[in-house]
Amino acid sequence: MILAKTPILGDLENLLRHVLNWLHGSVGLPWAWSIVAITVIVRMILVPLTVRQIHSMQNLQRFAPQMKEIQKKYKADKKRQNEELMKFYRENQINPAASCLPMLLQFPVFIALYYVLRNFSKHPPSGDLSWLHFVPNIAAHTTSFWGGYILLVVYVASQMASTLYMSATVDKTQRTIFMLMPIVFVFVIARFPAGLVLYWVTTNLWTVGQGLITRRLVPKTAAPLVEKRSSRTPPKDDGTAGNGAQPSSGEPRPKSPAAQQPRKVRRKKKAGRR
Amino acid sequence: MTAGRLGVGLVWLYRLTLGALFPTTCKYEPSCSQYAIDAFRTKGLVRGSALAAWRLLRCNPWSHGGFDPVR
Repeated sequence: MILAKTPILGDLENLLRHVLNWLHGSVGLPWAWSIVAITVIVRMILVPLTVRQIHSMQNLQRFAPQMKEIQKKYKADKKRQNEELMKFYRENQINPAASCLPMLLQFPVFIALYYVLRNFSKHPPSGDLSWLHFVPNIAAHTTSFWGGYILLVVYVASQMASTLYMSATVDKTQRTIFMLMPIVFVFVIARFPAGLVLYWVTTNLWTVGQGLITRRLVPKTAAPLVEKRSSRTPPKDDGTAGNGAQPSSGEPRPKSPAAQQPRKVRRKKKAGRR
Repeated sequence: MTAGRLGVGLVWLYRLTLGALFPTTCKYEPSCSQYAIDAFRTKGLVRGSALAAWRLLRCNPWSHGGFDPVR
């Protein structure tokens, strides 16, 4: 695929193969369901990370009006807009939902699975490689049988649904792009083994399920955070607070020093990210 | 820095393949991949890799994100 096979990748492939063998041989699952099981195991390991992520996303949505204000203000300058948003996050203790690490942790599994399935297509293992009657062979290219097209449609739907639940961005255009992405990538994925698409669909469905559950379990508690805000920020400049409170941009602020004073003792240190 | 270019190329390879398949927005500005590119350009391959790896570790659900360029 994209990466040349290095020793580490070989080890990863072996490890994944062992887990698959165990799920198939000892637990007694068919190969396809073993892939589903592996996906579920990986996602279960990542649960603490994703739950945290969903919570911060809900937090983010609470501040959506103020953030839209900032976006409107710096419409012309995308870079500046981003910086101002980041400052707003910091000031309001918002933890932006999306972070690279949890996503990155899934890549090794994904790549290892690719190699395992490629190996399967060269040297088919004993046992049934089909899934739910409509996928005859999980090691074959997804489009090499009619059931693969169903799988691809399910993939697009599940990817869109999970984007809906996990996308952190408030930016409408960006969200639309992310929603349309799977339609474009379906053409790339069509060349992948069906088992890989199966992994994808499972992980997406897990994301959606997790989103639904956490949404139900965690009620939106807007009140305390709003109060926290108003204790620091005079209500009259609420709309521009995200911009006004930043100390480093060099913009002279015509505010009285008394109004500035309490801001300087923000819980900055506690919010430090390192 | 010629070795750094290799790193920049790898980041682009990631961006066009896996990065595009798994859409996420980064909580940092510049994003992790842009940070890696900047690091490779200014610090070279070895130190750039270390900086990029450390940034990726920081880009977790417990951090607060924000404006964080390569210094």
